[in-house]
Amino acid sequence: MTGLVVGLILRAGVVLTGAALATFALLWHAPGDPALAIALARFDTVVPAAVIDQLRAEAGLDGGFWQAFLAWVAPLLVGDFGQSSVTGRDVWPDLVRAMSYTLPLALAGLLVGLIISLPLALVATRRPGGWLDRCAVGVAALGASIPAYWLGLLLIMLFAVRLGWLPATGARTPVHIVLPAVTLGLGVAASFTRILRSGILDARAQPFLPAFRRRGVACRDIARAHVAPHAAIPVVTVFGLELAFLLEGAVMVETIFARPGLGSFLVGAIEARDFPKVQAVVVFSALLFVTFNMIIDLIYRAIDPRIGEHNA
Amino acid sequence: MRSVGGLAALFLLLGIAGPWLAPHDPTQINIAHRLSPPGAEWLLGTDALGRDIVSRLLHGARWSLGLAFVISVAGLCIGTLVGLVAALGGRLADWALMRTTDTFLAFPDLVAAVVIAGVLGAGTGSLIFALTVTGWMRYARVARAVGVSLHSRGYVVQARLAGLWPAAIAFWHYLPSLLSSLMVVWTGMFARAVLGISALGFLGFGVQPPSPEWGTMLLDARIHMRSTPLQMLWPGLAVVGCVLAINLTGDALRDRLAEKDGHR
Amino acid sequence: MTLDTVSLSLAPGRTLAVVGQSGAGKSTLINAILGLVRCSAGEITWQNAPLCRCRPAVVLQEPRSAFNPRLSLRRSVMEPLAARRRTADPARLEKLCDGLEIAPALLERRPAQVSVGQAQRIGILRALIAQPPLVLFDEPLSALDAIAQKQTARLIADLQREEGFAALIVTHDLGYAAACSDDIAVLRAGRIEELSRTEAFVAAPETAYGRTLRNAAFALGALEHAA
Repeated sequence: MTGLVVGLILRAGVVLTGAALATFALLWHAPGDPALAIALARFDTVVPAAVIDQLRAEAGLDGGFWQAFLAWVAPLLVGDFGQSSVTGRDVWPDLVRAMSYTLPLALAGLLVGLIISLPLALVATRRPGGWLDRCAVGVAALGASIPAYWLGLLLIMLFAVRLGWLPATGARTPVHIVLPAVTLGLGVAASFTRILRSGILDARAQPFLPAFRRRGVACRDIARAHVAPHAAIPVVTVFGLELAFLLEGAVMVETIFARPGLGSFLVGAIEARDFPKVQAVVVFSALLFVTFNMIIDLIYRAIDPRIGEHNA
Repeated sequence: MRSVGGLAALFLLLGIAGPWLAPHDPTQINIAHRLSPPGAEWLLGTDALGRDIVSRLLHGARWSLGLAFVISVAGLCIGTLVGLVAALGGRLADWALMRTTDTFLAFPDLVAAVVIAGVLGAGTGSLIFALTVTGWMRYARVARAVGVSLHSRGYVVQARLAGLWPAAIAFWHYLPSLLSSLMVVWTGMFARAVLGISALGFLGFGVQPPSPEWGTMLLDARIHMRSTPLQMLWPGLAVVGCVLAINLTGDALRDRLAEKDGHR
Repeated sequence: MTLDTVSLSLAPGRTLAVVGQSGAGKSTLINAILGLVRCSAGEITWQNAPLCRCRPAVVLQEPRSAFNPRLSLRRSVMEPLAARRRTADPARLEKLCDGLEIAPALLERRPAQVSVGQAQRIGILRALIAQPPLVLFDEPLSALDAIAQKQTARLIADLQREEGFAALIVTHDLGYAAACSDDIAVLRAGRIEELSRTEAFVAAPETAYGRTLRNAAFALGALEHAA
């Protein structure tokens, strides 16, 4: 087990290094002179070339690619995400503040998704192929096809503009989270319902279950001992996949609802060409993502004995 | 199945023939008729610059579906190549390519696409690049997984033993068996590309105005949400209908393949 | 299953049969020879060079899966030649088809459109087409019915006499092994239990396990015609 964990951590390290390199390479090759962008952002007027050169040296951009990469990665290893090239302030506190808006939204979205999908999947699988089941499948298919930003706009139109029940934009009060969370949660619910449904049906179709039933084992005992653990496997997988959905969903949803958070942080940074901030968001989300997937992988192995340790 | 196929075919037809069906020029600005309600002259009304919404939707179908096709096929080619080389190229190639795939999977893909498209500068080229770079990994994983499962098939063993050139083995013995699984992935990625194009358009990083693209249209319509809320409905409905048709086709395809496998 | 100190040798034109019960390591041996599993130690050579360089041919247990279901049988049969950038000699193809009792029209079909017995004979055709010095047979008869078994066994023996290839036959069927081979190796739990001339083995196995195997085959009546 320790060997497995070490192996997974090493693998995550390789992947994260690759991710950092890819991000840096993209921004390095981006069109436009980053030093000029900094100058424009700070002075807002035409500046002499000497100042731009000085800014370039300050930002560590005057050396080669690898020199600049190392200058960025080395502090990153000790948790220093660098300074904003526009404001000169540390990126990390701003990132934490953005996350403090995004994390509750993601969790609320997850909660909404679970509240909708769990009962739906359970009711649907009572009678597979029945009208309730068909409805659930149809609703899930529709839900998976609706872009979050459009759903958000529709909800704003209905609940904020027409009915005036809920606030549409900003994040001043806790009520402001309702519409964004529902927008996010409906998308989550769609894929949750699908996977839960097929997970439960698969678990019920295990070939040894009829034998138990014939031998008179109580249905409830079968469900608890054999159906539930089997159905848990796809659910764990889905949590892994949903994280990606929640993160990118949050980016879109925050933009629509003009909510502060990772989404507006990222879009703002891109528009200002504040590359240290962009790098920080991308690497931070990759770190979250890889860590989360690693944990999912471990849980997966713990609950599914069929996944051997050899394909680590 | 038939109705699903019909719906998908309808959208495909719109994507190809849409521009010829359009009653007006989609970029013709006509301030006198701005924000007209739906009527005989303008079936779904006009936008803030007086452009005909029906025409813009029909032309937009070509943007959305055409670009999504290009992006998903490019991803298919890259991913299949990576997956096959990983499956057939020995342990070192396998390790290197699969860790590269993991690396690209380490980003939530829409976030990565937003960053790439945004950083490279808004435009169709960077849109295609951004969505392709973030959209080939699923193909690679599937191609590799199915490829590895084929290693011990009798005809693959025979071909390797005969000393056939690896590229020929890949082409004749691996690729045909991969196609069905790849097609299922492809429908999913096609739908993802349609969603991605409109999402980037909505954020302002995608197809640039005045080109009629559904996401960009939604972005324009959003400003006039309070006065003409119907405007927001149409591009969204177009995206949903399109993605739904593709997704249902993909589901039907997957079910049919599962059935076929079951009979074997 | 791991193999341990398995040492076998085979001269050109001779036949070695490897027999053993299920789980004795027969398929591991085949996989090692075919390069499907890596050997942690030891080597497999043919005339002082790695075995794969002589491009051995193989006839597999499950005849139909040995052919790509999407290609015509003719294409699969020609593959060993295509890999050597050679084209088929029509006279040789006709002679082999004749010897293997394959109607040439069969080759235009897909694997699913021929019987298992036909597929196995076409498999042998594919193995022999490029004149390999060594042919491996992995349970060549076990998927066939009794009549096809008899016919196929006879055809393999006839062809070997004509073509002069060395044959390594891996089988659990001691009766067949005794009928076709020059030497017999008994595999048990990953080790070679006994290696003898076939006549000597049928007459009097050296080891207790060999005797058990031989007596079991006698009891089933499988060894009568060979003894």
